[in-house]
Amino acid sequence: MKFVKFLALAATAGLAACAQPAEDGAEETRVVNVYSARHYSSDAAIYAAFTEQTGIEVNLVSANGDQLIERVRADGERSPADVIITVDAARLHRAEQAGLFAASDYSDLATGIGTNLVDPEGYWVSFAKRSRVVAYSNTRVQPGEITTYSDLADPRWEGRICVRGSGSPYNQSLLASLVIHLGEEEAQAWAQAVVDNMAREPQGGDRTQINGIAAGECDVTILNHYYYAMMVNSDDPAAQAAAAAVTLFFPNQDTTGAHVNVSGAGIAVNAPHPEEARALIAFFFSDDAQRAFAEMTNEIPVRTDVSWDNPTLAAMLPFNEDAMNVSELGDNNETAQRIFDRVGWQ
Amino acid sequence: MDKAGSPSRLPGQTSGLAVLAALVCAAPVLAVAWIALTRDSGDYLQHLAQTRLPVYLSTSALVALVAGGGAGLIGTALGWLIARTEFWGRRTLSWVLILPLAVPAYVAAYAWLDLSQAGGPLDAFTGGAFPTIRGGGGAGMMFALVLYPYVYLLARDTFASQSVDAYNAARTLGAGPLTAFWRTSLPMARPAVAAGLALVAMESLADYGTVSHLGAPTLSIGLIRAWSGAGSLVDAARLSLVLVFIAIVVFGLERAQRSRARSVNGSGRHKPAPRLYLRGGTALAALLVCLTPLALGMIIPLGRLVWLALHTETATGLAAASFHSLTLAGITALLAAALGLATAYALRSRTAIATLATRAAGLGYAVPGAVAAVGVIAILSGIQALVDPSWRAMTGEVFPIVLTGTGAALVFAYLSRFAAAAISPAETALARITPSLDGAARTLGATRRRRVWHIHWPLIAAGVTSAGLLVFVEVLKELPATMILRPFNYDTLAIIAHNFASDERLGEAALPSLLIPLVALLPMIFVARYLSRQDR
Repeated sequence: MKFVKFLALAATAGLAACAQPAEDGAEETRVVNVYSARHYSSDAAIYAAFTEQTGIEVNLVSANGDQLIERVRADGERSPADVIITVDAARLHRAEQAGLFAASDYSDLATGIGTNLVDPEGYWVSFAKRSRVVAYSNTRVQPGEITTYSDLADPRWEGRICVRGSGSPYNQSLLASLVIHLGEEEAQAWAQAVVDNMAREPQGGDRTQINGIAAGECDVTILNHYYYAMMVNSDDPAAQAAAAAVTLFFPNQDTTGAHVNVSGAGIAVNAPHPEEARALIAFFFSDDAQRAFAEMTNEIPVRTDVSWDNPTLAAMLPFNEDAMNVSELGDNNETAQRIFDRVGWQ
Repeated sequence: MDKAGSPSRLPGQTSGLAVLAALVCAAPVLAVAWIALTRDSGDYLQHLAQTRLPVYLSTSALVALVAGGGAGLIGTALGWLIARTEFWGRRTLSWVLILPLAVPAYVAAYAWLDLSQAGGPLDAFTGGAFPTIRGGGGAGMMFALVLYPYVYLLARDTFASQSVDAYNAARTLGAGPLTAFWRTSLPMARPAVAAGLALVAMESLADYGTVSHLGAPTLSIGLIRAWSGAGSLVDAARLSLVLVFIAIVVFGLERAQRSRARSVNGSGRHKPAPRLYLRGGTALAALLVCLTPLALGMIIPLGRLVWLALHTETATGLAAASFHSLTLAGITALLAAALGLATAYALRSRTAIATLATRAAGLGYAVPGAVAAVGVIAILSGIQALVDPSWRAMTGEVFPIVLTGTGAALVFAYLSRFAAAAISPAETALARITPSLDGAARTLGATRRRRVWHIHWPLIAAGVTSAGLLVFVEVLKELPATMILRPFNYDTLAIIAHNFASDERLGEAALPSLLIPLVALLPMIFVARYLSRQDR
């Protein structure tokens, strides 16, 4: 019996210790509840600035995009989520398909940021960009030898490509864009050729691939631009040295433009604090937040009229980006995944 | 109340509660099975069977074999050395050797890939001779190095409490110490080793972070991809049934080991083994054998991270995260130890329902944390939906309390995920109390309470505290379920470490990764002290 009492006690203690912060309390603190797939520690600074400016407290839970979607969906009408943020357009699309977003008019925020970055139906909006680019060895590859994603399929790269696994949403979205531009059959031929050209089975993340080139294990890789910038801006001499051994470029500059993906947000359909949600999303477009994305996470701000200080990132810009609406990536995500499975891209 | 000849049990009520608790722990996995079997899905699984499924299965087998083989070897050897010999440093090592368990396997994997990859320090130092730690073999080795304490803990306790009669008899008959160990001590320790191995195998199959970073496509990878790529939770749930099936087989094999060993030590006589005193070269060798897995599983990977940390800023919020980690792990560990003990007693009643409930509770160990979390969410949202109609009738609104995202949801998920880690050691410990032991005590007029406190508890204390400790450390490391179910603004050390590590920012990941074993040290020292007091 003691055991039972103890069990009840411990469970109560557990509940009390981890209880959720109260909804807007008696002191009328305004809050916004954020479900974010962004896991960058620098975001804390952005939320702090938002709170200071508006007096609205930010409650944050961050996790993988698909898991956040499942949690919001299961909680349904009672979900405390106000804002849902993901780092992949396909996830934004999936959340929209699951009916988790409320439509809103983002035109005031989105003027001048490129129509490809806003959901045509107004369910979500992008506030920062990342491009999936190509990097090659300074010593073993001549500039101009490779200029497009399609070039990676050329037999000349046999045994020379390092790339991360196909579980990465970034690889899935890149292949989804190729499905849209080239059709499923040709996209599969491309993926098959890249697999045939791999120097090693996929392992690690994007930074591991740059290390692979620096060490001479391979000559070319596909990566998100900010990983390279992160290494250049790092205090670690080994990371700097590895980054210095490669040249990064934006592919398809004369054709479709380089593939871009986004950090985006939408207001939850059952948001208890829609006004505050809207205020937070608007804040992501403020000068301060846009500058923070460029300087702290090396992302490309969607607004071009904000000045920021990050020479590494500045040296990469400008570039021609793919004009397709990023919401299309979500429609083709499963096709991309199946192609990866068929060609054995681990 | 006691039937003559039957082993001591808990009173019926408590036994019933234990069964109920076990069923609650089993519920999330059952919910996932329900999703898998009742909801419709497309042709994704068919596609998978035609493409990647064979690779997923063979890689899973490789990972489990390497992990189990490695952990079995290391854990048994260390367990014997610590329990049956005496050498300089043994007393400290006896609990320090548990510490690698507190290193998340993915942290070891990130560090080892960084060290051994092309152009990494080891590669440069050996002129390319050092192989890159990757693939199924590499992932299996990572699991062996951080999970061997499962085997070690159980093997050590068993070796320590083994009667030496058989060993001595073998020696008398002319067997050398090694042969005697091989023919008597080891077979007697087999149930404990098997229990440890079952946990290692299931844990490595349920892992996602390590295998995805090292490029070892196991079933867990396929399952998470089915969810994230194809967006089908149903397909993911169906794939997790395969893991559940494997768990049933693995735990079944383990049970078979256990029942085969039942006859051992039937006399109930407990004659502590005299320690073999090692000196000089042998003592040094023993020390080295103990230090090697410690170095490979903990000192080298964490040392690498610390070295990288010298070039980076420190992460913030670590004090709060440590507190969160400790709170969750502490509460869950206490509950789990109680659960383990209660279900182990309930099991002694040999009723079908007790057996079934306990075995089902253990299955949570087989599924990835993300899937267990889905089960928890499904149950909690089901409860919410159940309350909704009557609440709406009264207030016109839906039931306002959100059950997901509370500490209770997290503890629920942990218990369902790690019940096996609590039940298994408790059951192993309780197996030592034979019916004849109870019978003797009863003959001498001991009441049930006296029997439990003066005879059972001293014999099972080590096992039960081990159970609590294992769950404590598991919760400290747990990532996927914590991420998805946690309350607002509630980071744990594992989450902070993973957020950095997933971006390959290993320097920033260093401090939180280091704090996990450091936080684990506190209860470990406490438990070590408690147990050595018991030893006297």
